[in-house]
Amino acid sequence: MIKLIRVFLSVVIASAVLLFVINRLNSAEGFSSGNTITIYNWGDYIDPDLIKRFKDETGIKVIYETFDSNEAMLTKIKQGGTTYDIAIPSEYMIQKMKEENLLLPLDQSKLPNLKNIDERFMDLPFDPNNKYSVPYFWGTVGIVFNTKLVGDKPFTSWNDLWDPSLKNDILLTDGAREVIGMGLNSLGYSLNDTNKEHLHEAKAKLDTLTPNIKAIVGDEIKMLIANEEAAVGLVWSGDAADMMGENENLDYVVPSEGSNLWFDNMVIPKTAKNIEGAHQFINFMLDAKIAAQNAEWVSYSTPNKEALKHMPKEMVEDERFYPSPELTDKLEVYENLGKKNLAFYNDLFLEFKMHRK
Amino acid sequence: MYDFEGFTLDWYKELFQDTRLLIIVLNTLVIALLSALFSTIIGVLGAIAIYQLRRRQTKNTILSLNNVLIVSPDVIIGASFLILFTTAGIKLGFYSVLLSHIAFSIPIVVIMVLPKLLEMSPTLIDAARDLGASKWDVLAKVILPYITPGIFAGFFMALTYSLDDFAVTFFVTGNGFSTLSVEIYSLARRGISLNINALSTLLFLFTILLVIIYYFITQRTKTQVGGIRND
Repeated sequence: MIKLIRVFLSVVIASAVLLFVINRLNSAEGFSSGNTITIYNWGDYIDPDLIKRFKDETGIKVIYETFDSNEAMLTKIKQGGTTYDIAIPSEYMIQKMKEENLLLPLDQSKLPNLKNIDERFMDLPFDPNNKYSVPYFWGTVGIVFNTKLVGDKPFTSWNDLWDPSLKNDILLTDGAREVIGMGLNSLGYSLNDTNKEHLHEAKAKLDTLTPNIKAIVGDEIKMLIANEEAAVGLVWSGDAADMMGENENLDYVVPSEGSNLWFDNMVIPKTAKNIEGAHQFINFMLDAKIAAQNAEWVSYSTPNKEALKHMPKEMVEDERFYPSPELTDKLEVYENLGKKNLAFYNDLFLEFKMHRK
Repeated sequence: MYDFEGFTLDWYKELFQDTRLLIIVLNTLVIALLSALFSTIIGVLGAIAIYQLRRRQTKNTILSLNNVLIVSPDVIIGASFLILFTTAGIKLGFYSVLLSHIAFSIPIVVIMVLPKLLEMSPTLIDAARDLGASKWDVLAKVILPYITPGIFAGFFMALTYSLDDFAVTFFVTGNGFSTLSVEIYSLARRGISLNINALSTLLFLFTILLVIIYYFITQRTKTQVGGIRND
């Protein structure tokens, strides 16, 4: 009995000491004072230095939390019980959050730096007039390929993937709209096509790609391609930049027929407590120099055209990540096709995955 | 992916400068300790109550209910807790994580303690009562000392379960509160920094140290008590 009590007491004392230390650390960082904002962002998606700078400039402390998928974020915000002041979802999720009334409209008079954003990326179909969101980073879907493994074979078009020399050498990202979209694009149709004949045609075309496909995988595609398990991959540009950082034989191309243009955007969810602070933070991130520093750290493409002037030339002139205006015109943003059409996309994709010939 | 280039302590330095990560580590430890403590207390009381039940049927029913939490998948438990906490208006954070950890640890403690109780000869209790021990004396001087090894086993099981739980915690964290497993998972999107490796090394050494200390303590008490039976 005494032994038990002694052990339990020491556990209580240890926890009390730890709690005290946590408290001290929290107040040292300023998290427990009133003037804070909570940011809910993807992991490793902001230069930590900027969070410090924001604190120094405005006196507002930033509590930073991370998520790993749009769906996880949606659940947390929808269920309530949290007080996120800023979240950074992708464009299709913004549409969904709008429909479910989870977003607060932005007060654009508090965002003077909004003028820095390239007009090309403003007023997009997923959020007319940028009522709820401001673009944070953007990118494309394209082909990453290993120059050592494929030799001199050039990649310029989606149809290059159908080359018989690539037998069992292609990895695809596991996304219905990305893969079906590739089929549609290779036939010259729009990514948002809902014509069933066109979709069936795209699926039939994809079926002929099957001998070349090694696997359809999730996030591990980055590791597999960087480790040269496969020579070619269908990926998002952000992932491609990561892979190229790890393996110098890799190169990335946005096919000339066009492709998808995606956005991650800053929004203020309904759960926000410090709306004023959230606006200040968005405006801070839109500042040309700040955005430039952030883009250099994250290495995704920034929509901030003023920021480009402050960034290293070789980064801005890299057509793989900042495609020329002619190519950008061919890029399409995913539109919300409605539940029924989306289900049709998913069914086709599932059929394509299950019935490999 | 990093190629091995040489030895450095830079990542340890970076680790200790990252206050946010340190807070998360300490949070994880506090949650583990407190949830193990509370679940042990509740679990032991529960096990004794089940042991004392006369009717076989009620006993079996309660034991099966106890097993429901062990059998049901973590994801389901986590999602249910999320719904429960949000409808009950409990703010997600430290307390929601603590409560859910206590809840899923209790059945484990019960399972660890109950066999010890069943193994104990009922004549021990009868003898104690016969010699004039009060109910409290029986509990404190006969039952608890006998089941102490089971209690410790339950405590450490609860501790490890809480330390490495991901699925349940994932659902019920929020408002700036996070534990290590959830944090590492969110970092995985853009590759895990090497200071996580440094942290894992430190945690591993810390656990080894605990095991060694525990070993020496048990050694010492054994020699101290000498001839008296002490498990």
